[in-house]
Amino acid sequence: MYEVLMYDGGVYKVNELYELVEDVGGFVIQKTQIQVQIMVTMAIPEEERPAIEAKTRELGGKIVNVPLAGTEIAVVAPTLGRHHMPHPTCDIAEQLRRLGAITVVMGLARGKGRRTAQINADEKAVIEEYDAAVFVLGNFKDCIVEHKVRLFEDIQVPVAAVCGPQIPSLPNCEALVCGVGRKVERMRREEEIARLDEVSEAMERVIKARRKELEEDPLFVHPAEVKDRISELEAVQRSLRPAPVVLHLDGLRVKIPYQEWKDQIAAVEVYGHRLGDIATLSDSRLGGSTLIKIKTRSEVEAQDGKAGAK
Amino acid sequence: MMSEEDESFAYQNFDTIFRQILQELGVSRSVEAFRIMADPDEPYFLIAMKLGRARSAVRVLDMAQLDSHADGTSITITDEGWAPALLTKLWQRYGRDRVEQLTRFELLVRGATVEELSDLELDPGEELKTKLLDAVWRLFPEGFKVRYELADDKAMTIIGTEHDMKEKWIELARRVQQEMCVAEAA
Repeated sequence: MYEVLMYDGGVYKVNELYELVEDVGGFVIQKTQIQVQIMVTMAIPEEERPAIEAKTRELGGKIVNVPLAGTEIAVVAPTLGRHHMPHPTCDIAEQLRRLGAITVVMGLARGKGRRTAQINADEKAVIEEYDAAVFVLGNFKDCIVEHKVRLFEDIQVPVAAVCGPQIPSLPNCEALVCGVGRKVERMRREEEIARLDEVSEAMERVIKARRKELEEDPLFVHPAEVKDRISELEAVQRSLRPAPVVLHLDGLRVKIPYQEWKDQIAAVEVYGHRLGDIATLSDSRLGGSTLIKIKTRSEVEAQDGKAGAK
Repeated sequence: MMSEEDESFAYQNFDTIFRQILQELGVSRSVEAFRIMADPDEPYFLIAMKLGRARSAVRVLDMAQLDSHADGTSITITDEGWAPALLTKLWQRYGRDRVEQLTRFELLVRGATVEELSDLELDPGEELKTKLLDAVWRLFPEGFKVRYELADDKAMTIIGTEHDMKEKWIELARRVQQEMCVAEAA
């Protein structure tokens, strides 16, 4: 089982860390360098953590736990109007980013209002491309309980709802955090920071449950291993987008156009298989990206068995 | 009617954010009292404000220097923040043909005397109303687009809903507006 960690330290001799990660059979997921400081997110086999910790101490850096690393989460507000943006929507997104998630902030086209609040099929499909979604709702209990809950019914990924009033439970969501509501200032007071921590803890629980679900029928390869191979593609190396390959719990998002690159991506070799055979490739609803869903080990074995029988 | 117990969070939150918005826009002292009412069942949202006195009128001499000129009067603006308001006022009074903008800070008003211009006053009341409407727009639930407004020099009341505006809500707004006019400053 892989564990995702983040090294936070200087660039001096950081190559030694990269070599160690490779030697223990791990992968570097992301590097963010700011002048002489660098943050390296990596996936390593669980049992190798002491070795990585020792190397980190030697280099004078520190290991930060990033429980949401390797996930991409959508933070959804009813609209992108200033009633919901930038606070608290962006504050929540930032909180999740600090724990390692890649986040996107989305506003619905017609999510405002009460009876008029709605979400369309396209928006649902976009949200379902992510590992989980956080819906940031407002102040009125009646409005949330009676109407806004419809926004996240039938969404196939786990949803955490964040709202203002104290509500014991809400249907259609895996987690609920109350006490946030509308904000016109940054969430920087003690009680607001506590609420942000609650949101990230709720999301951690949701992601943990999803990971457990996936472990019951494990993926054929860990997405980080596929990332390593995909990153060698010329188009990915030329991509100027900040994170050209993003890990999901059960696959990846590669930010190069599907139509143009699907054959090259499918031809990438992973443990003696074509990627196209061990994963499902599809076009992302957000233009210019390709989604890769890795098949489970049992699916690939069944597929191999059929091919052998022929 | 929204019970304050049921929706206590909403009441408190709207109260807090409205105060923060007024502070951000620099008009906290211009609102002596305000009242927020809502009923999500109906639904309507109402905000009423008792207006304080706007800043005392600003005279042209407070923000510019006046000199007589062969063609009229030349104005040199010393406080640029007032330039757009001054220009608008001059255009209204003398027309665009007679007001010439020479540079960013210099204006020439043809056929106007220095005495005449030094008596000119800009109305900060208008500016205050614009800022208060901005504050209300920021506070109002986004979906409540159908609005009815009542405003005079003492108070301003705005009620909004999602669909058709009902006569009984307008009545309520009128009643609250009257109450607000005689309300004690908070």
